[in-house]
Amino acid sequence: MRRLLVAIPTLLGVATVVFLLMRLLPGDPAVVIAGPEATAADVDRIRHQLGLTLPFWQQYLSFLGRLSHADLGISIRTGAPVIQEIFTRVPFTATLAFISLLLAILIGVTAGVIAATRRNSTMDVSISGGAVFGASMPTYWLGLMLIILFAVHLRVLPAGGSDRGPISVVLPAITLALFSTGLIARQTRSAMLEVLGQDFVRTARAKGAARTAVLIRHALRNALLPIVTVIGLQFGTLLGGAVLTETIFAWPGVGRLLVDSIGSRDYPVVQGVVLLLSVSFIAINLITDLLYAYVDPRIRYG
Amino acid sequence: MRGRFFALLALACLAVTACGTGGGSQQTTSGPKHGDTLKVAIGIDPDTLDPAGQTTTTASQIVDMMTETLVTIDEKGALKPLLATKWDQSSDGLTYTFTLRQNVKFSDGAPFNAQAVKFSIDRLLSPNTFRAQPGILGGKTGIDHVDVVDDSHVKFTLKTKLAPFVAALTQTQSAIISPASVNVAPNRPDLITQPVGTGPYKFGERLAADHITLNANKDYWGTKANYDTQVYKIVPEPATREALVKSGGADVMVLPPASDIPALQSDSSLKVILGPSDRTIQIIINTQGTVQPLLQKAEVRQALNYAVDKTAIIKSVMFGMAVPLDAPMSKSLFGYCPVGSSYNYDPAKAKSMLQAAGAAGMTVKMVAPTGRYVQDFQVAQAVAGYLRDAGLNVQGPATTDWPTYLSTYVNVPPSQSRIDLSLLGWAPPYLDAQQQFEQFYSARIPPAGLETSYYKNPEIDALIEKANAGTDPAQRQKDYCDAAKTVWKEAPWIFLYNQRFPFVTTAKVTNVVGLPNEKFVTTWASPA
Repeated sequence: MRRLLVAIPTLLGVATVVFLLMRLLPGDPAVVIAGPEATAADVDRIRHQLGLTLPFWQQYLSFLGRLSHADLGISIRTGAPVIQEIFTRVPFTATLAFISLLLAILIGVTAGVIAATRRNSTMDVSISGGAVFGASMPTYWLGLMLIILFAVHLRVLPAGGSDRGPISVVLPAITLALFSTGLIARQTRSAMLEVLGQDFVRTARAKGAARTAVLIRHALRNALLPIVTVIGLQFGTLLGGAVLTETIFAWPGVGRLLVDSIGSRDYPVVQGVVLLLSVSFIAINLITDLLYAYVDPRIRYG
Repeated sequence: MRGRFFALLALACLAVTACGTGGGSQQTTSGPKHGDTLKVAIGIDPDTLDPAGQTTTTASQIVDMMTETLVTIDEKGALKPLLATKWDQSSDGLTYTFTLRQNVKFSDGAPFNAQAVKFSIDRLLSPNTFRAQPGILGGKTGIDHVDVVDDSHVKFTLKTKLAPFVAALTQTQSAIISPASVNVAPNRPDLITQPVGTGPYKFGERLAADHITLNANKDYWGTKANYDTQVYKIVPEPATREALVKSGGADVMVLPPASDIPALQSDSSLKVILGPSDRTIQIIINTQGTVQPLLQKAEVRQALNYAVDKTAIIKSVMFGMAVPLDAPMSKSLFGYCPVGSSYNYDPAKAKSMLQAAGAAGMTVKMVAPTGRYVQDFQVAQAVAGYLRDAGLNVQGPATTDWPTYLSTYVNVPPSQSRIDLSLLGWAPPYLDAQQQFEQFYSARIPPAGLETSYYKNPEIDALIEKANAGTDPAQRQKDYCDAAKTVWKEAPWIFLYNQRFPFVTTAKVTNVVGLPNEKFVTTWASPA
């Protein structure tokens, strides 16, 4: 409960910083929306409609006032409530991030365990190499290469969009997952190597436990703590990475909304999206902390 | 796999010619063929589908499929009747009476009549309509009021004489909507999200940032559309749009990656169309010389024009997607005339002119936006290279995103300007020189407008004002032409080119047409 209360000033701080940052950015939303060829009269009327003629502090107070009853305001770009703008996009980003994280955990942890058990073998070298490759590939380049291969040449997956059912998510999920997979694999490998050298593993082997049982139940279980930490942090990376991935693959998620909104200086939507991302990040950290206690019963939160 | 399924279905339909089942499309073997679904990949997610709030051509062309204006333009940019069959101007030039087309219905079944016209225009002019953009139709000089004469006649009274008035009515903002539809949720009187008009298509569905679906209006008053459904897919990344068209995920795409155009042109399964555009691209010169005083001299500005090889830039940086300017406006505008002289690339002449003006080696600061126009920043870099060849000390070009650019470099009064040269494009939406001359009219110097060259010539101002209010088209043409000749000679810009607006279709689609206002109209597309 105390941890939840601590989150409130954090969110307030985030809200304030975002509010300030957006308004410090050069660019007048009314001029951007009206376009350069518009008349000055149109621009003035739009500025007035959007409440941008109010003094700075008044805009801030009304922003906080609305926020206190969960009203994020009206999108400057579309005129729709910000809440509605965000929540039509959340399912897409949530799906993408969740599938990517699942992929990254499955492949990353498996590869890490394999690499650790066959230390310095060809397998280990190629997995470790692959992990470095994955973690350092630019998303943009990789995404376009995958599109050219699977959509244009092989024609087995769609190049972009969300309209072709479950197969639509395959390429964006793989692209988004690659970075995290690499990181998780490397973390798993080093955590496992540390644990595998310890006495209790030797004891387990000595008492005749099956090889996989030793690996999973004894070694991996004890190596989990740093792995869980990395996974928790990766969720934030995934949400951020979604901005690029969603743009390349025309995936209608929150990341795209953020890009479009910054491009048109849609202050209320940018504020809303950043707040939402902060809330998710805080929530994920909380869940990660709780998972620690589950993974390692010695950890208790009073 | 749905894309390929539909493509196969469309092919099957072609094989069995009697596929126009139930629909209104009667087809003959020679006429346009009936199709199922056309998929169009565009780069931006329309901010609004409310006709009154339109600001971008790509969003407007979607709205145009559902709602229609009284007057429209043809492929050459000439005025053409649409919902009005004819119009008369009073002798004092202040009132216009439109005769409306008979037996037209909105897609919700309501009749199209003079009341609907008044309602739509009043709504456009109302300060309560969210983000309405009446432009010159509103404000201190535009429409004063609209009167219903009878069911099929409507009278517009203007506040001042406004020569391009009828042309301005071709803009999507003045489209006529069904009055009852603004109260049908999710529409609100101040904001329409599902427009109901008289157009050949009806709103189907929309998923934000993903797609907009339009269904053919079976009761359309004119020639009916050939595709039952058109889906506009929102795909921000040009390379992905290209992949979609190549892989069958889309039939039409807008703005391919510039550097891929030559390869696309050689692909026989695709058609690259370099659509017309009235957008001029230029390097705006700070003519008041608030940073570099030497730029106050016309000879110096002319020298800059001679120093830049426009033809080479069009060929190598624009991949052929432009035509050089021979006037301070594009050829498709009313009021255009070729000015007679040219600024052919002549580096020796440029150098000697700079020398003579005492401007050899002068320092100029240059900026350009990134991602606003085709190859914008790359073109600015090329221009900077030519200016350096002419001996100038060019600082930049620096670049920013568009919103920053607008407020930091464009919408800036002369006293606060920090730059000498800035790349800008200008595209008059209703194809009249009046709007191009907003760029040379000193009453529009920021913050009153975006006349960023700060060019000020009382003689030109007078000509512009006369032509803007003129009632005789021939005289207006002559006035704009005279003004253009002076502007060209005094060179407030480095005149670069008239941009083309490229789009690509598969060979299976025909009759996607580019208009000079940068719309690529898919409404009348049909299977090839």
